[in-house]
Amino acid sequence: MTRFLLKRTGQALVVLFLVSLIVFVLLHQLPGGPARAILGPKATPEAIAHFNHLQGYDRSLPVQYGMYLKRLVTGDLGESYKLNQPVFALLTERLPKTLLLTGLSVVLAALLAIPLGILQAVRRGRLSDYVLTGAAFVAYATPVFFLGLVLILGFAQQWPLFPAEAPQAESVGGILAEPAGLVLPVVTMALGIIAMFSRYMRSAVLDNLGEDYVRTARSKGQSQVRVLARHVLRNALIPLAGLLGLYLPTLFSGTLVVESMFNYPGMGLLFWNAAQSNDFPVLLGVTLVVGVATVLGSLLTDLAYAVLDPRIRSVS
Amino acid sequence: MTAEAATPTTPQPAAGEPADDDGMDATPGLARRTLAVFARNRLALLGACLLAALLAFCFLGPLVHPTDQVHTDLDQASLAPGEAGHLLGTTDLGYDMLGRLMHGGQTSLEVGLAAGLLATLFGTVYGAVAGYFGGWVDAVLMRVTDAALAIPALFLLVVVAAMVTPSKPVLILVIASVAWLSPARLIRGEALALRSRDYVHAMRLMGGGGGRAVFRHIVPNAVGTMIVNATFQIADAILYVAYLSFLGLSIPPPAADWGSMLSSGITYTQVGYWWLIFPPGLAIVLVVAAFNFIGDGLRDAFDVRLQKN
Amino acid sequence: MPTTQPPGPVPSGESPLSGEPLPAHEPLLSVEDLHLSIAGRDRAGAERTVHALDGVSLRLAPGEALGLVGESGSGKTMTALSVLGLLPPGARVTSGRVLLEGTDLAAAPDQVLRRIRGEAVGVVFQDPLSSLNPTMTIGAQVAEPLLLHRGVSRAEARERAVETLRLVGLGQPGERMRNYPHQLSGGMRQRVAIAMALVCEPKLLIADEPTTALDVTTQHQILELIGELRERLGMALILVSHDLGVIARRVDRVAVMYAGKVAEQAPVARLFTSPRHRYTQALFDALPERAAGTSRPLATIPGLPPSLTRRPAGCRFAPRCAYATDVCRTEEPAPRPADDEGVHTYACFHPADPAARPAAPGEARPAEDAPASPGTDADVLLDLDDVRREYPLHSSPFTRRRDRRLVSAVAGVSLTVRRGETFGIVGESGCGKSTLGRLAVGMEKPTGGSVRFEGDDLATLDRAHLRAHRRRVQLMFQDSYAAMDPRMRVGAILREPLVVQGVGDRAAQEERVRGLLDEVGLERGAVHRYPHEFSGGQRQRLGLARALALAPSLVVADEPVSALDVSVQAQILNLMRDLQREKGLSYLFISHDLAVVRYLADRVGVMYLGSLVETGPAAEVFARPLHPYTRGLLETADSAVVDSAGETAVDGAPEAGPAEGAGPLAGETPSAADPPSGCRFRTRCPLATELCATTPPEPTAPAGEGHLVRCHFPLVPVAGSAG
Repeated sequence: MTRFLLKRTGQALVVLFLVSLIVFVLLHQLPGGPARAILGPKATPEAIAHFNHLQGYDRSLPVQYGMYLKRLVTGDLGESYKLNQPVFALLTERLPKTLLLTGLSVVLAALLAIPLGILQAVRRGRLSDYVLTGAAFVAYATPVFFLGLVLILGFAQQWPLFPAEAPQAESVGGILAEPAGLVLPVVTMALGIIAMFSRYMRSAVLDNLGEDYVRTARSKGQSQVRVLARHVLRNALIPLAGLLGLYLPTLFSGTLVVESMFNYPGMGLLFWNAAQSNDFPVLLGVTLVVGVATVLGSLLTDLAYAVLDPRIRSVS
Repeated sequence: MTAEAATPTTPQPAAGEPADDDGMDATPGLARRTLAVFARNRLALLGACLLAALLAFCFLGPLVHPTDQVHTDLDQASLAPGEAGHLLGTTDLGYDMLGRLMHGGQTSLEVGLAAGLLATLFGTVYGAVAGYFGGWVDAVLMRVTDAALAIPALFLLVVVAAMVTPSKPVLILVIASVAWLSPARLIRGEALALRSRDYVHAMRLMGGGGGRAVFRHIVPNAVGTMIVNATFQIADAILYVAYLSFLGLSIPPPAADWGSMLSSGITYTQVGYWWLIFPPGLAIVLVVAAFNFIGDGLRDAFDVRLQKN
Repeated sequence: MPTTQPPGPVPSGESPLSGEPLPAHEPLLSVEDLHLSIAGRDRAGAERTVHALDGVSLRLAPGEALGLVGESGSGKTMTALSVLGLLPPGARVTSGRVLLEGTDLAAAPDQVLRRIRGEAVGVVFQDPLSSLNPTMTIGAQVAEPLLLHRGVSRAEARERAVETLRLVGLGQPGERMRNYPHQLSGGMRQRVAIAMALVCEPKLLIADEPTTALDVTTQHQILELIGELRERLGMALILVSHDLGVIARRVDRVAVMYAGKVAEQAPVARLFTSPRHRYTQALFDALPERAAGTSRPLATIPGLPPSLTRRPAGCRFAPRCAYATDVCRTEEPAPRPADDEGVHTYACFHPADPAARPAAPGEARPAEDAPASPGTDADVLLDLDDVRREYPLHSSPFTRRRDRRLVSAVAGVSLTVRRGETFGIVGESGCGKSTLGRLAVGMEKPTGGSVRFEGDDLATLDRAHLRAHRRRVQLMFQDSYAAMDPRMRVGAILREPLVVQGVGDRAAQEERVRGLLDEVGLERGAVHRYPHEFSGGQRQRLGLARALALAPSLVVADEPVSALDVSVQAQILNLMRDLQREKGLSYLFISHDLAVVRYLADRVGVMYLGSLVETGPAAEVFARPLHPYTRGLLETADSAVVDSAGETAVDGAPEAGPAEGAGPLAGETPSAADPPSGCRFRTRCPLATELCATTPPEPTAPAGEGHLVRCHFPLVPVAGSAG
């Protein structure tokens, strides 16, 4: 367990380092380089040269990378030249809101997908299995924004049950105070996850039902329900933690679309607005933070996996 | 033991052991059997038919239903389906919606196919190198993909797309530059596994070298995985095109693709111009589902021919 | 016997099993004309139905032990599992009854079956690892049947579970309760599985190949345990096995199954001494034990069991039977009694004559089958000198070099293989015998010592010479299927060694391939087929053909027959032997199966935990073992040779009188990552002293030249008593 922990954390650190390197390389690929990005498109060549000298951008790349890392550690991600605010401050304000949206969607998806997947496995080859499998395939193939549009057309306009715009409150608490506004964004996010999780659950439960230990459990005289609840469920759920970790990047990609559609004040919206106005410090800052969040998130899910699975937990 | 009893003790040729009853004629080749299994999968067939229909619609459709997709015609703007002979109505700029769907589909399919195949090709080579050489080469190459995969694809795509001026070839490169990561990881695992198969060991024990291992055993056995993955990659690439267009980072008008059509339709949801949204949206769903069905069918088909009995 | 009958009435509420005890002559279990089919799909996805059981009838008295033997696919497991309705998906009882104390379980609803499972009938399955839930403590798993059936409190269930674990011989049961299955060894897991089956004290225990996944010594311990517990709890037993040796000593009666039918049923001694069905007889004759040390070819059964997708007409064994006549091919033989009491029945038109006893081992040795004369020392082909192989255990960049632990898989093995001889290596799983095989063919490099072939040290060969060397030694894999590229046709697979070595042009290579197919007894048309189209036995023939393609002088065969049924195994062993005679081949033959090694080998080496504890002429080593481990192994191995009194003649056992330190082996093999100091066997050796813990023994030859042993206290027969 300790060995696993150390190894996994070491790997995560290496990946984090490389994430920062990728973002650094992207920064240098910007049209006109970082100076243009920071000083804006109208800066004169002299101003750029002066800036580059001041900031050390005329030094060798490894030195520059060292300086970049140093600034990162102090939380200096540059300044948005559209919003005139430090990127770091913008991110600390937006990140919790994005995490709230993601978290709610995952919880909703898990609550629906797990029973659905079990149902499909138990009723394998029957009509309900086919219908649900077909639905999952369609949900898989549906771009999040098309789904969002359909939901808006249906539940905000045709039948105006929920607002088409997300809550605009400053704080996380404020957003939670307007649950109706959260319904459409959360459901839009959740549908894709449900498709994914229920497909996984279906095959995991089927695989486990075919295992010898299930036959053993039945040989003790257990009913199907008890076998599912006591034996199969746990074995099928544990890998779901690991799956969630792998799915994190896709989840964050989803927030980018959902937030910009519903005008939800999270990191995705910040990023989208920055993309529209070529606000590169924000774009790269968000990319870095999302990358870091993904690495840490998958580290956490892996650790959860290790704690839940006795086969990993007890290996000294 | 009697003399008679001695008869069965002589070693018999395995004549009594035919695995099938169709004699020892040559069995059909693997390609034919793979196709046969694929054809038995109804969803996969449906996917293949769907794809054929969509391709015909986008590339042959304009021959049957020629429209002007370059010049705007504000007199004919935002007509509802059926009005003035426009089967699916017109857009806010007066383009015929049916014709635009064909036109946009060409972009989506071309970019998706090219980017998906390019990504698979590059990812395969990268993964194969990592998997075959192993050790430090593998560790370095794989940590790089891990890091790149940690940054959500859409964010990376948007950053890269924001740096360039999009055109078809640029879009293909941008999408491929992000999409190669997952086939790289997949093929690397496959190469690692295949490298240590007993039949590769057996060949090495005959005195065969690394070249033979790669080209005679590893590559032919990884082809199935590659083809299946390419199908899924194409589906993903088509989605990426749509996402980028939707986020406003696509080839500028008058060019169109299904994503940008949706994106421009979004402005008119308030006034209920549903025909601007459903046709391109459904087209994306159909084409992506078709590729996924085909991929699933191919996976089964490639699996089956390796099964032991 | 009625084939179909409405299901017996099931009294509602009260369990049908809790009624008055049945009269002693009433069977506990009676299977009547059971038919079972499995609906499934073949590889190409086409629907097909396998008629797995076709009219099986069996009876089992309370407390009786019945053995069900048969080759794979004979329906023995299906029969056993149908008692509890634990059938695989798609399987369905189409007619017949399974009466347990009068209740028809074949027709019983699920609730009735659930009450019986784990309560009246317990089951132990083959693979103890996959049969236990990996994420549940063994305590919870053992206690589960009690909570289900006895309605006891958790504390009581726990207490009973601890008690039962103690009963099955698991040390420190209280602490073990909190363990997960992966923390236990294979033998311990199977003890847990037995505890789980017995915790409610069932009337019947069904053990389905309970020891097939275990090592010889562990197998013995588990079978002894089952026997002991059966006596103690007075329960009946159905022991399912493919291994006649396992059945021989553990049951009262045996039913031999073939292709979904019971071929013959008899008390164990009767069956083993005078089998009547021609299949049973042929099965016994195919056992390598029967021909050990006689240099006779094994009796084989040609061909394969029929496919059960169609109901074969006539006797199912007829196509493979040397005595079959027209009546066998058209009419189905009915079971008929072999005696007046009706305890011995068989279904055969031309039964074996009990008076004409099959030739006893050692008799009738044809002159041409004189033992292959092993060459002299001058003809040494392979020479291993103090060969060592260590593997690093979890190495990672975070492990400091001096902390790196090593698994010592092969620890200083020296042996020679001479031209034309077969050197057999025996040992349990994990003893390093497969690693030794890989070292011998040069697939791995030793971390110490040298491997020489015809005098050349493999480590010193350059690339070109190593390539040329490959022609001289070839490996025959345990699983030939895995060793053949599934995408190549057989023609290409057999031609590959010739292509790689650049032998001849294409026409010559194809001619050679045809010759190879002739030699291993396969049709030439096989070149157009893929490996998956062949049966297990045919694949081993292909594997052998490929190994011989380059005309090597040594073939290293790693467990080449361990995955095969007895009748097919005999075909392959005979083939290997015939080809050896024709070509003057040498074999390094690696196996866990003493009988197989004894049959084929001229000289043997016994491996334990990475070291070769004893080597010598096969007959010598098996008759007068010098190492306590060898002796223990021989005593532990279950032999299928039974004398008329019903006692198993300890066929493999030593001739010398019981020496001190003899007896079946107790305990389990320690880990190779942390081998015992001194003599590696000392932790399980009854003779071990201080000396054994401190000093590794050097090889000595106390019983004469050529028979070496690594032991401080070899089992030298006391002077005068040795024959």
